[in-house]
Amino acid sequence: MYRVRSELAAFINKQDRLVPFSSYFLVRSFLRFFVVFFFLKFLDPIYEQGKSNEAEMLEQLLIFTRGGLVLWSSCRALGNALKGSPIDALIRSCLLEERSADSSFSHESYTLKWAFHNELGLVFVAVYQRILHLLYVDDLLTAVRREFSEIYDPKRISYDDFDEMFRQLQKEAEARAEEMKKLKQSGRALPVQAKKGGAGQRALTGVQGNGAKKGTGGGAAKDDSDGDMGSGRLLSNGVDNGTKGINKSRVASMGKENGAPDTGAFDVNKLKMRSKTGKKGDGEKKSAPTKGEPKKAVKKNRVWDDKPVEESKLDFTYEKGDERMEREVVVVRGESMMDKEEVISSESEGEEEDELEGAKPEAKKKGWFSSMFKSIAGNSSLEKANLEPALKALKDRLMTKNVAEEIAEKLCESVATSLEGKKLGSFTRVSSTVQTAMEEALLRILTPKRSIDILRDVHAAKEQGRPYVVVFVGVNGVGKSTNLAKVAYWLLQHDVSVMLAACDTFRSGAVEQLRTHARRLQIPIFEKGYEKDPAIVAKEAIQEAARNKSDVVLVDTAGRMQDNEPLMRALSKLINLNNPDLVLFVGEALVGNDAVDQLSKFNQKLADLSTVATARLIDGILLTKFDTIDDKVGAALSMVYISGAPVMFVGCGQSYTDLKKLNVKSIVKTLLK
Amino acid sequence: MDLEQLANQTKQWISEQPVEQIYIAVAVLFITFAFFLILSFLRTSKSNTIVLAGLSGSGKTILFYQLRDGSPHQGTVTSMEPNDDTFVLHSDLSEEKQKKRAVPVHLIDVPGHPRLKPKLDDYLPQAAGLVFTVDAQDFLYNYQAAAEYLYDILTKAIVAKKKIPVLILCNKTDKVTAHSKEFIKKQLEKEIDKLRASRNAISTADVTNEVVLGTPGTPFSFSQCQNKVTEAEASGLTGNISQVEQFIKENIRR
Repeated sequence: MYRVRSELAAFINKQDRLVPFSSYFLVRSFLRFFVVFFFLKFLDPIYEQGKSNEAEMLEQLLIFTRGGLVLWSSCRALGNALKGSPIDALIRSCLLEERSADSSFSHESYTLKWAFHNELGLVFVAVYQRILHLLYVDDLLTAVRREFSEIYDPKRISYDDFDEMFRQLQKEAEARAEEMKKLKQSGRALPVQAKKGGAGQRALTGVQGNGAKKGTGGGAAKDDSDGDMGSGRLLSNGVDNGTKGINKSRVASMGKENGAPDTGAFDVNKLKMRSKTGKKGDGEKKSAPTKGEPKKAVKKNRVWDDKPVEESKLDFTYEKGDERMEREVVVVRGESMMDKEEVISSESEGEEEDELEGAKPEAKKKGWFSSMFKSIAGNSSLEKANLEPALKALKDRLMTKNVAEEIAEKLCESVATSLEGKKLGSFTRVSSTVQTAMEEALLRILTPKRSIDILRDVHAAKEQGRPYVVVFVGVNGVGKSTNLAKVAYWLLQHDVSVMLAACDTFRSGAVEQLRTHARRLQIPIFEKGYEKDPAIVAKEAIQEAARNKSDVVLVDTAGRMQDNEPLMRALSKLINLNNPDLVLFVGEALVGNDAVDQLSKFNQKLADLSTVATARLIDGILLTKFDTIDDKVGAALSMVYISGAPVMFVGCGQSYTDLKKLNVKSIVKTLLK
Repeated sequence: MDLEQLANQTKQWISEQPVEQIYIAVAVLFITFAFFLILSFLRTSKSNTIVLAGLSGSGKTILFYQLRDGSPHQGTVTSMEPNDDTFVLHSDLSEEKQKKRAVPVHLIDVPGHPRLKPKLDDYLPQAAGLVFTVDAQDFLYNYQAAAEYLYDILTKAIVAKKKIPVLILCNKTDKVTAHSKEFIKKQLEKEIDKLRASRNAISTADVTNEVVLGTPGTPFSFSQCQNKVTEAEASGLTGNISQVEQFIKENIRR
């Protein structure tokens, strides 16, 4: 001990100039020691709390029955500690709208994910802040579902013992997610030796994880493809192993993506670059003449292509009405079909079924036999594999009825999520269960979620002393003006005074057309001729209606394609300026997959270009040309599903009385025939 | 040809049996048939089903669990499916002397979300009474929708034919801003009057309003309905549901 000390002293004394240095060194090391000590003592609890804060990043996990009773909640404050009750919003706008196959739902500042247990009729919902991206939620939901279904008992209501289990599950799920994250990060940082084992093994070292990721999950790592490419190259040059071949092909594919000179990809990339530059030049040239200039004060002619503007415009707007036409007044042609009851014919059903059965006897027999056995046995639960063929058949049937493809797809997925895991009742086949579920789903979607009684709203507006304004929007040629006249006729039959507003100031003859209708129906019309701003015309029309005490104002607008930016802007300006009571989207029943695009783009543009906080979206749908489709009624379903707006009227002919209400049951029957 | 052969064969077989056996067989068949007929007659005159209906958020599911278990448990969310159960009222269970006489109640809570409205039609045929819950606190925000729903129910053919008694229950009366049942009754009557005028002979998509409510000339009032319509107050969360229970007991003991 003395020897050490003396030697140390001698050593220190030897280096004179090192004495202050060494003491400084000693002080520094002591300081470091103290810092570490304090860190461990004081900051550790904060670190622990930080960890538990992580656990609370998941705001709430709720388990409830389909009948509405909350069985268990992860936060004890009686369920409503969250702002704005997102769970109710989830149920109303997602689960009941047959969008239960979506991956997540966001409401205000929260994101929600859910899982079903269809056999027991339970729903598991996890709520967390939208800005966080928690990876372990899906994992956690499946684990919770598994554990809870074991302790669930229909008679029991309180499940307080599940708290412990839940905390444990949450820790496990988080740990798994942390591991995945670390593997991803280390895989990026360490580009070294390849793994030895098979691609499917859980990694012990970061490198093996890297190899596994490359073998299996390639697509996810696209954003760090550069780093991986480098590591991949190293890998391929490195140790020889079984997966070398796979890695090489990965490198090759990544090389293609990054534009490296490979034989196949070479031309494509060059072509892309060439077309890009070409596009740029053309785009600039084209943008000037085709798009109207909304900045200019005077509204220019709408030009559809590059033809030169004609000098003399053909404008036949008369100053005064044509006297000869005034005498022609429409005689009351009887009741509008809106007021007649719909007779559902059930006779044609039987014939169709016989034909179908006769067509495919062979394949049906085999399937029937085996499914008969299964159905008698009764206790098989529905798996996705069993549902697949039945759902595919249903989807094809829907598509033959002119339902848009992606809508049919989404619907089938939603029905699948609601049926998975359910036990088949005895003596029921898979196809009949799927059929009943689909029928219920269709009935739910087509049933309007708000009142479609326009007359009541008209009376309510009348009491408030203002006119009820309806705006008809839609793409070109769907029948806006014709159906506007039909609606006016129907309203007149119910003793409501109507006024028309001719805000289609673009199409030749539009104003005259409306004028003729107005004359025949003997109702006032407000018009300003052509080439005027439709928004201003509508505003003045409403003021005029207020002055002469008309109950309803029907505003006709020009048809416009959903992609046409300036026209959509003009439309949203009209709606923002006048704030109508009803925005009616007119769509034809003949439309196919384009219905989805039309409605979603219209709604999107109206929402984006709105000036107020709650944007006015499409409130209702008017389905036209319904008499031209025999049983291909799918367009109604596509439109209602994508927009959530109910079908208020159906136009089924070209005379004044051909307007009726949508009969939901008959549509569902026709769709599933 | 086959049928004739079969018929001949059965005739031969029947003639081969001793006569008494045939008589006994026929008699047994007749007796069992008559027995079931009588049973079915007895059953239809009594039904112990009560249906809870109302707008979404008016407190039906909470009321359901209050009646069944005596507590709202941990709260509820919007129902997606009906709650259907047969039980003895919880308040009856607690009193000893009533336990023996208590009749089990079949209570059905139908979701109020507009998309699930058609489900109500499935349960109305077996209903002995209907409880229409109204949110007394937020009444002025959605009284039009409530009146429309009530009008739809009152004009259904089944309700008018079987004269199902309706109880308009003003729920959430424990809140300070809740309205009184008289106010709610008057507002609903006014709204239904307006609805009557605007609906007239129009038939909506699924519900056929075959019945004209009340007398057309005079302003509408619930006493003009053929079925009995009464009002009551309750509070689902605190458990103040005595008026509901009274209504249920009255209509089941029929």
